[in-house]
Amino acid sequence: MPISSLEQQGAPVATRRSQRTGTRKQRGNGFLLPALLFIAFMTVYPLAYNIWLAVHGTDIGNLLRGSSPFVGFDNFRTLADDQAFRHALLISLVFTAGALFLQFTLGFALALFFSQPFPGNRTLRALLLLGWLLPIVVSANVWRWLLDGSYGLFNAFLLATGLIDRPAFWLTDQHAALTAVILANAWVGVPFNMVLLLAGLQGISPSLYEAAMIDGAGMWERFRFITLPQVRAVALTVLLLSFVYTFKVFDLIFVLTQGGPVDATTTLPVYTYQLTFTSFAFSKGAAAATVLLLISLSLSGLYVWTIRREEAS
Amino acid sequence: MRRGAGRPTKWLKTVIGCIVVGLYLIPVYWMVVTSLKPEGDIFAVPPQVVPFHPQWTSYFTVLQDPAIRRAFLNSVIISLGTTAFTLCFATPAAYALARLKLRIAGLTILILLVSQMLPTINLAVPLFVIFSRLSLVNTYTALILANTVFALPLAITILRPLFLHLPRELEDAAKVDGCTQAGAFWRVILPLVRPGLLTVGTVAFVLTWGELVFGLTLTTNENMQPITVALSNLVGLYGTRWNDMMAVSTATALPIIVIFVALQKYIVSGLSAGAVKE
Repeated sequence: MPISSLEQQGAPVATRRSQRTGTRKQRGNGFLLPALLFIAFMTVYPLAYNIWLAVHGTDIGNLLRGSSPFVGFDNFRTLADDQAFRHALLISLVFTAGALFLQFTLGFALALFFSQPFPGNRTLRALLLLGWLLPIVVSANVWRWLLDGSYGLFNAFLLATGLIDRPAFWLTDQHAALTAVILANAWVGVPFNMVLLLAGLQGISPSLYEAAMIDGAGMWERFRFITLPQVRAVALTVLLLSFVYTFKVFDLIFVLTQGGPVDATTTLPVYTYQLTFTSFAFSKGAAAATVLLLISLSLSGLYVWTIRREEAS
Repeated sequence: MRRGAGRPTKWLKTVIGCIVVGLYLIPVYWMVVTSLKPEGDIFAVPPQVVPFHPQWTSYFTVLQDPAIRRAFLNSVIISLGTTAFTLCFATPAAYALARLKLRIAGLTILILLVSQMLPTINLAVPLFVIFSRLSLVNTYTALILANTVFALPLAITILRPLFLHLPRELEDAAKVDGCTQAGAFWRVILPLVRPGLLTVGTVAFVLTWGELVFGLTLTTNENMQPITVALSNLVGLYGTRWNDMMAVSTATALPIIVIFVALQKYIVSGLSAGAVKE
């Protein structure tokens, strides 16, 4: 029974072999092999194929035959000369920076608040996480409705409080759309930042605060000289991680604005998608995707390096 | 933070907390409330904060649409399939990475960590081409395989520390009692990490249920679309039928809300597992 069950898990050959020869290593490889093969075929190979596409002249005609000519860096050169690509890169950076600023500041404020003990703390904190867990398509749709120019709740609130005197068409106005998209993304991202920062705050030894209080340090001084320096390392990893996750956001923008109006919210992932699935410019799309991948990988690399260094110290 | 706060200030913080969380959840409230309003009431000025004529009409309307029912069914199949697939691949792999000193372990863990952070679009395009060649576009297989790409590394990341924490003597004892290595894994180790398996299962389900990009790129046939894709298509179709739109949104969110209420502690620890430490 156990063996047959394991067979369903895809580890039969090595399990039997290990019973014969009995070395630990082969057994381990047998357990690990299915997952490794999966990653090799479904993650590493597609990424490599993407790069292959980027250095070939692939179009809708020769895509499935796979007989496209090698063109070297031509696609990247076309891309570099393309105004739309440079614009997408800029929009991506503004979107990420704006969303990160909001998510991090609000997340940190919430983390500080929830690091204090009070009745109902856990329950309230848990409720906040709902915004993070909802399918992005759902959240984006709700925000589309909230930000509606004529009947949206957000405008109703702003008009009633006198913050604006005329309804703003958040998602269809070229100057407002990016702000709107940043706002919606921050709503999704705040709980994530809060959870991680709170974990960081809870890791600070209470004895530090006790010692500071004996020395007569006030609230601000404790925050400035204990909380901030102690939470700095965690804050850095949270920022890096948030950057990686925000830079690749696609679904939220796709539902909210489809990258519009015109190209006001066309970030690099949206631009890549449009090149590939709307214009069918597969190779140019793959080149854009490669740039996106390189940016993501370098930041993930930086993130991994940071946590490794932190663990070592 | 320790402060010499007395009882009244404690409760004051609870009140502030309630206000903050209440403000944060306005979009969720507005979604549900809008879905219960008749068409005329959605456009009321000023907006009706509490619906004057609550009704279920929108839910009946949208759930009568066979395309939407089909999309829900597709999402259930894809999400459950991905969950099962992920558990089968991740559990032995995490065990191997925790127990055995493999030369490739360090590299594997690194790859797992990085692959969780890949932009979906980078995989969607090449997977579309690969699946096209294999005639797998518009199949559950393609969508389950694609979704596993993100669920699997996270699952291994969640499970590995749990195996690390189990004392090695457990397996040794099982083997003395006549268990094979596989038997020890199946009968002794797995039951001990059951909460972890539950975490992995819920996280894989939640991730897949909300996934859009693979659904968008790996299906061209409306019959195979998950609910996320159907919902994003309604943007053009429904126009200003916001009550119907919010009914579909609420229905899409419902499984997640239920899981969230029932299994909250499992999901949160799981989803943030990959983040702070590997």
